[in-house]
Amino acid sequence: MLLATQNLQFPPTRDLIGLLPELILSGAFVILLMLDLVTPPSRRSLLAAVSLVALAAAMGAVVWGWFDADHARTIYAGSFAYDRFGRFVDGIVIASAALTVAISPDYLNRRGLHFGEYYALILAATVGMMLLAGAASLIVIFLGIELLSISLYILSGFAHTETRSQEAALKYLLLGGFASGILLYGMALIYGATGHTQLTLIKQSLAGSSGTDPLFLVGVGLLFVGFAFKVSAAPFHWWTPDVYQGAPTSVTTFMSVATKVAAFASLIRVFTYTFADSTDKWTGIVAFVAIISMVVGNVAALTQTSLKRMLAYSGIAQAGYILIGVAVSPDPLGTVGSLYYLAAYAATNLGAFAVITVLAGRGEDLDSYDGIRGLAYRRPYTAAAMAFFLFSLGGFPPTAGFFAKFLVFSAAIHAHAVYLALWGIGTSVISIFYYLRVGLLMYTRPKEGEETYPWARTSLAGGGVLAASAAGTLVLGILVFLIYTAAVSAQHGVLPVPQQLA
Amino acid sequence: MHSIPWLTLVLVVPLGTALLLQLLPRTAAGAIKATTVAGTLAVAGIVAGLLIAFNQSAASSTPGRGLTLQFQERHSWIPGIGASYHLGLDGLSGWLLALDAAVFLIGAVVVSRRATERPKFYCTLLLLTEAATAGVLLSADLLLFYLFWEAMLVPLYFILGSYGDANRGRATIKFIIYTAAGSLLMLVAIIYITFQAQQATASAANPSGTLSFDLQTLINSPAVSAAQDRVSVLGFATLTPAQWAFLAFAAAFAIKVPLVPFHTWLPDSYTSAPPQVLTFFAGIVSKLGAYGFIRYGLTLFPGPVHHFQWLLMSLAVVSIVYSALLALSQADIKRIVAYASISHLGFIVLGIFALNENGINGAIIQMINHGIIIVALFLVVGYIEERTGTRDRHELSGLEARMPWLYALFLVITLAGLGMPGMNSFVGEFTILVGAFQANPVFTVLAGLGTVLACWYMLRLHQGLMHDPIQGRLERIGDLRVGEGLTLAPLVALMVLIGVFPRPIGDVARGNVHQYATIATSEPGASPATASAPGP
Repeated sequence: MLLATQNLQFPPTRDLIGLLPELILSGAFVILLMLDLVTPPSRRSLLAAVSLVALAAAMGAVVWGWFDADHARTIYAGSFAYDRFGRFVDGIVIASAALTVAISPDYLNRRGLHFGEYYALILAATVGMMLLAGAASLIVIFLGIELLSISLYILSGFAHTETRSQEAALKYLLLGGFASGILLYGMALIYGATGHTQLTLIKQSLAGSSGTDPLFLVGVGLLFVGFAFKVSAAPFHWWTPDVYQGAPTSVTTFMSVATKVAAFASLIRVFTYTFADSTDKWTGIVAFVAIISMVVGNVAALTQTSLKRMLAYSGIAQAGYILIGVAVSPDPLGTVGSLYYLAAYAATNLGAFAVITVLAGRGEDLDSYDGIRGLAYRRPYTAAAMAFFLFSLGGFPPTAGFFAKFLVFSAAIHAHAVYLALWGIGTSVISIFYYLRVGLLMYTRPKEGEETYPWARTSLAGGGVLAASAAGTLVLGILVFLIYTAAVSAQHGVLPVPQQLA
Repeated sequence: MHSIPWLTLVLVVPLGTALLLQLLPRTAAGAIKATTVAGTLAVAGIVAGLLIAFNQSAASSTPGRGLTLQFQERHSWIPGIGASYHLGLDGLSGWLLALDAAVFLIGAVVVSRRATERPKFYCTLLLLTEAATAGVLLSADLLLFYLFWEAMLVPLYFILGSYGDANRGRATIKFIIYTAAGSLLMLVAIIYITFQAQQATASAANPSGTLSFDLQTLINSPAVSAAQDRVSVLGFATLTPAQWAFLAFAAAFAIKVPLVPFHTWLPDSYTSAPPQVLTFFAGIVSKLGAYGFIRYGLTLFPGPVHHFQWLLMSLAVVSIVYSALLALSQADIKRIVAYASISHLGFIVLGIFALNENGINGAIIQMINHGIIIVALFLVVGYIEERTGTRDRHELSGLEARMPWLYALFLVITLAGLGMPGMNSFVGEFTILVGAFQANPVFTVLAGLGTVLACWYMLRLHQGLMHDPIQGRLERIGDLRVGEGLTLAPLVALMVLIGVFPRPIGDVARGNVHQYATIATSEPGASPATASAPGP
């Protein structure tokens, strides 16, 4: 049944066009690996430039695909969805990758980690994420997850002389491998229950049944656990703080944003749209995990004294808010809210981590709260940007974070799940405390003669990335209709078979 | 009709000035402060023009549950969810906008006359706060209103967190968390009532209905109060959804006003903030809570407003009496003023929830008065602290001898603060008490106790600071400088002017006050003929 209906031959052009962005980045991956051999160590910034060009080309292909009249179909024998939903997520992932690449050369040079493989691995992870976003078959989902995970395992341990980075990589590898196993097991059970790996066919075979097959339900449960691990939702979040803290900050920047975005895209495609007929069986557990994530993430973040760990726990809480959009399935407003939240989260969280990255000096990574004390007195604009991102994470208008929260809470209320919105606002109030505490530290005047962290000079590229993230956060907070319209359009076209937006 | 979008200009001018400041070098303190004063002066000019051009009889021509807004601007903002950029001015927001423009102008003038740490940062934040507060007053769309309402906290956070005494960090976070908690509850209620209203518009041609955040649309929608399925929390407090939604709105506004027992952020942040911040922080922010009660509470929830009239009126009375007692027991003169402020704000809420024209009219007048008096009081406290280095009532006495000008001005402010006839507070409080008496005589009598207590703590404060022999270490302090006197003088003049000639406020506000009272006492969906009170 797997591939039986199509004869195996070279894929037709229509299929290749659907994969154009992924193909561009894969080609760039190979080119980068070879270029690295002939590039002298001092000129490795060139590799970053090449990566940026490739990412720009891929972005072009994504935008073209968005407007391509021939989209909204599955390609490669129904295993990959060429739809606007995928393009929307691809756009976020590619933009995150590009911004990460732009801040990387300076940071890696200061930390003495500037190796060419870095860029190749970032691109490989990006391809994995894009495959995951478009995957319309359980096999491709696994393929995408493994591609992005393996690249990130290596990147987390990129600081090869630091124990903490090595520990992070090992922890991520072991726990990630374990989660992949659970995911795969869930896929196997679903395949056993339905006889299909393609989401379209799974959906069809579920249409007749009542969805109470225990084999299927256990499979759904395991699949959800696997996804929950990747999006770092509680109680599957234990790896997140350690890995975020141990990995080089530029890697954390990328990982914290893009992995979550891609994994959420796949989670939504599989759960909200493929298991659409049995929502009553699994929305309860999703809502439960959402609440646990919001509570655990926000409460644990209160007591942190490390910026990266605080942002890691904040990311866990944000995963909880995004899960609200899944928990209200099949309400299409939930998907729109989640998509908007992902875009907002990407702009904001990337900005917050980028601030820590561009400020990191030669020695230790900038990580402790003490490290940003008095930042506003030396780097007023960087501190203002960081404060802006923190406000967005806390959900204050006029920032992206406000409308993201507004839309998921709206979805919850629209789906008569007001309790989710109330949990959401309750935990948001908690979150304001720790975001603003960090904000206040930056605006605390350093005492006479007190040593501050040796912040690096912000380079042109670093400043540009911060400005771009801040602009994105502001645009998503004011010119809401731009991305909102796109998210609605993405929801309309999602494969397999969307719910119509009321 | 109006080719120039004046209301947008009220928002754009402070924002534009703030952007302009970024082009100036950080060290050019003089230019920065001058630009800020110019920006706030321009806003004040536009607002004055708007009030002069305001059509006082426009509101009387709209029948039923209409709320007449003038100088309206409406543009599509997020078409997908029916949110629009809709601005409008009525008699209520018009006067508060005037107060807003005035307190920021004073704030800018005050800061321009004293050395300020990081003036560029400060002035930028001041202008951003002005834009956000003006936006709160001008919006006629619930989502836009919420956006400005919450965005206001961002610049305030930086100002309160960066300027003030050593306790400011704690006080700031307390303020933000308190207000944000209330606001988020209100957000849930906003989303809920818009979805309710959407369902009510559903028809065969449009099965899902039209979503709209427009205030007027929601005022006319019978959907919110129609839902009668009662919802209980943990088995008690069984209320209709509309009543829950009203309580959520009331939480946001009661924290902002603040009403006892939601007031504990106020003494902390007022005590820690420096006087130049308090000019606009105390001057306008608390009034926005009262404004929200009238503009959104009364209009959207006529049923629940009546159901909870006793609750809000009793909270108001508790605020008036309890804070007055607290004011009596303080030694720190700044805290005395802070508690006096809460006590006077209680009168405003009492007037609003009298739910009649007298009460609302008095509340509007009293909002203006409160702004003027509180700014003047905090300026006086600031001047005294600056010269003597202390705010302890017991360490200060006999300042009269050294500061005759301050003595005179402070005397007028004190009389205004305690509600002496002929002063502005008397007009406001009297009108409020008349309205409240029509609604509930018992609460009115209890509230009257507050005026007695006000005489006590205000006169004790004035006498204690000004009379008696001067303490030795205070011998060398000087009187007000000309600039300081000129900052206080217009406020003092206004106190007397409004006291003897309050008519302009009533004239501008009257038409809309009638509308607010009508909307608050009628259910949507009822025919306009029976809904509106038969008026002349």
